[in-house]
Amino acid sequence: MEEEIRQNYSEEEKLKVFHDEFMPHINSMYNFAYRLTFDEDDANDLVQDTYLKAFRFIESFEKGTNAKAWLFRILKNSFINDYRKKSKEPAKIDYQEVETYYNSDEVDRQITPDLRVETLQDMIGDEISNALNALDVDFRTVIILSDLEGFKYEEMAKILDIPIGTVRSRLHRARNLLKEKLSEYAKQMGYKNS
Amino acid sequence: MPDSTNPSNPGKKVSCMEMLQHILDGDATAEQQQHFKDHLDECMPCFKTYNLEVALKTLIKTKCNGNGAPQELIERIKSQISQNMPR
Repeated sequence: MEEEIRQNYSEEEKLKVFHDEFMPHINSMYNFAYRLTFDEDDANDLVQDTYLKAFRFIESFEKGTNAKAWLFRILKNSFINDYRKKSKEPAKIDYQEVETYYNSDEVDRQITPDLRVETLQDMIGDEISNALNALDVDFRTVIILSDLEGFKYEEMAKILDIPIGTVRSRLHRARNLLKEKLSEYAKQMGYKNS
Repeated sequence: MPDSTNPSNPGKKVSCMEMLQHILDGDATAEQQQHFKDHLDECMPCFKTYNLEVALKTLIKTKCNGNGAPQELIERIKSQISQNMPR
């Protein structure tokens, strides 16, 4: 992280930054929180904690810069520190190992070549959302940040405190897992050659 | 990919899958985009994979947005912030 420069905001400016730059992201923040915790009360608490923290530290935020990335970073850190411990998430797998593996030539392997665009587009219910929710939290997170929220690799690296190369390989792996999951759903839906 | 070099590791050719991911995520240069576009015209597997990835990305964006934050949460945050301000 680059060195923090403290801003000197008047009380009025603090409120303005909060309402104009932080509050517009509340729906994205809530969706992220819900997809991390799968619990409405926990998601409410997580978002509220994040916004109160953002306000408390508002002087380390330079107005007009990337508020959304800053808020997502606070939320993700709060989740890890306060919620992940008490949640039922299984122990974290060793991603170092996974990522080394997927940084090898294995990366070009064509996974689920049988999944078709038409099959995906026939999934008009909750299949896509359920498949995303079924992914392990770290894989789920990169898909949310990239595909749903449109963050760039560099922003994701800052939000998640990981190198850009790890962002890319984790995203690649996450998408393959998502396609595998959707392929299973397609088979259940009765597509012989999905 | 013809003549595409990996910016993080010059000399090593960027693989199709890696390039596809850069294009998909808007992380490719104009030159890389042109290379990839030309490549799609002559490579059916890449063409199919690319279309599938685009469809999936689009579907995630439309299907996983949620219903938005509850109004009570928004009101609670706003009221807590105004209470925290010195009068």
